[in-house]
Amino acid sequence: MENYNSAYFKQLAKQLRFDLSDQEAQDIVAEFDTLLNQLSLLETIDTEGVTEMVLPFEDETTFMREDTVKNVFTVEEAMANAPKSKNDYFVTVKVVI
Amino acid sequence: MNIKETIKLSTPIERVEKALKLAHQGQPFLNAVVTFVDTEKQLDNLQNINPDAPFYGIPIVLKDNVNMKSVKTTGGSHILANYISQYNATITDRLQAAGAIVIAKSSMDELGMGGTNLTAATGPVYNPYDLSRMSGGSSGGSAVLVASGVVPFAIGTDTGDSVRKPASFNGIIGVKPSYGRISRYGIIPYASSLDHVGYFTRNVSDAALALEVLAGRDDQDMTSSFIEVEKYSVDLTGDLSGRKIGYIANVVRAIENQDVLAMFNRLIENMRIAGAEVVSIEMNEDLLNAILPTYYIIANSEATANHSNLDGLRFGVQQAGNDIEEIMSASRTAGFGKLIRKRFVIGSFSLFVENQEKLFRKAQKVRRLIVEDLHRALNGVDGLIAPASGYGAPKLQDTSLDQLSSRYLVAENFMVISNFSGTPSLTQPLGYVDGLPVGINLICHPFEEKKMFEIAAGLEKLTGLADCIREVGE
Repeated sequence: MENYNSAYFKQLAKQLRFDLSDQEAQDIVAEFDTLLNQLSLLETIDTEGVTEMVLPFEDETTFMREDTVKNVFTVEEAMANAPKSKNDYFVTVKVVI
Repeated sequence: MNIKETIKLSTPIERVEKALKLAHQGQPFLNAVVTFVDTEKQLDNLQNINPDAPFYGIPIVLKDNVNMKSVKTTGGSHILANYISQYNATITDRLQAAGAIVIAKSSMDELGMGGTNLTAATGPVYNPYDLSRMSGGSSGGSAVLVASGVVPFAIGTDTGDSVRKPASFNGIIGVKPSYGRISRYGIIPYASSLDHVGYFTRNVSDAALALEVLAGRDDQDMTSSFIEVEKYSVDLTGDLSGRKIGYIANVVRAIENQDVLAMFNRLIENMRIAGAEVVSIEMNEDLLNAILPTYYIIANSEATANHSNLDGLRFGVQQAGNDIEEIMSASRTAGFGKLIRKRFVIGSFSLFVENQEKLFRKAQKVRRLIVEDLHRALNGVDGLIAPASGYGAPKLQDTSLDQLSSRYLVAENFMVISNFSGTPSLTQPLGYVDGLPVGINLICHPFEEKKMFEIAAGLEKLTGLADCIREVGE
């Protein structure tokens, strides 16, 4: 198995846009053995020729419909939870300097 | 007393005041409520509701991942601690149209990801039968508010067994109907291919009535079913004669607690006396052992994608940063608990291109095999039963279970098969071990909820365990 150390998980967390403390990363390393052992149970199952199951029921439930307007959100409602907004725009730090 | 009888014997105001009194009385001990909801306008609005409506003036609770306009919806997470719903979930509309009065939003494991309710941003929820024990989760707050007598009905959600396990730990009924039976529109998702709306009641009659209120096609939820909603509560006799019911032998073998086994065996004997044919059903042991890792991979992978929009930029609690990356990173680090970040790491790990085939796609293939094995087990029987847990609610910090033991992998996780398969399933009280409730789980064929409630009503007659309440406080 590859080397799943603290640095590996800290880097992975960075890609997910959050940080792990040293202790949290070490905890994941410690628990990863159990997880990998559990995952190895999957390898014992023969899935040759089996199709992935994505949803419980595989019959289509959506159909073409008229494009009727309903459940409209006002701008005020859409912006109501924004940490910062101005003139109907979300405000954040400058992206282009 | 069921909801129909309650409506006849008291006024809406009396019912709501009593519920609020009990909720406030229990809150210092149970910590089950996240937000109390203003009931005044809802009570006023009853003048527009037919007094014959099924939930007329009945106080209820919503899990805190269900949107209710102008009310806080936190999903049990710090990152949504300030989020005010701007619209109603479809089920909120349906419940209010049926006359229900929402008195509170209930505590839950953060974003629904947990089975203990220990990860809620507002702290653990305590079990009314023993305050040193957990409620179970992720719908722990709702379960406890029904079990402690506050409300006769509460909404939960069930992605693994998040309604049916806390129902077992709290001595009440927990229903997870077929996938697509209840709309999920307006509910914070966890893992979309496994998420179900579920609910808690204290008797089977109310459970059947509630599904009539909640079920039905909703164009806002593409997975919502067109299959006709039945009158589940009508002619609910509980007659078990002629029923053929299987018990899952693998699950029973994995249970070590002799008291649980004795109660279960006694129930089977009584079912036979009541006219049911009860047969032993073997499922594929390797597939049962694979349920938990399969669930872990699928659920965490879907969750990682679903929650990528929680970044503090457009809504939620924002932390300071010098650029967007820093703001997102700081907001997600401060906003998510340790367990959630761990699960996102595992989910992302499974989705890496180099891991997708051997983990994510492999899990989806194993899921199909597990579901096929369940349908084989259900073939020829009306339903399957097994104890919902091998023990009563654990102590808050109990981590004694070996996560690779069959006791853990099979006995404590088998209910996930109904999330994989979309089959309707419910947990109801089986009995008590050392004063702690333990439930029995029932699984039926897809969209055969009517039959499920019929069988459950029969089991309820045999156990005599309906309307169980453990009040807490003064």
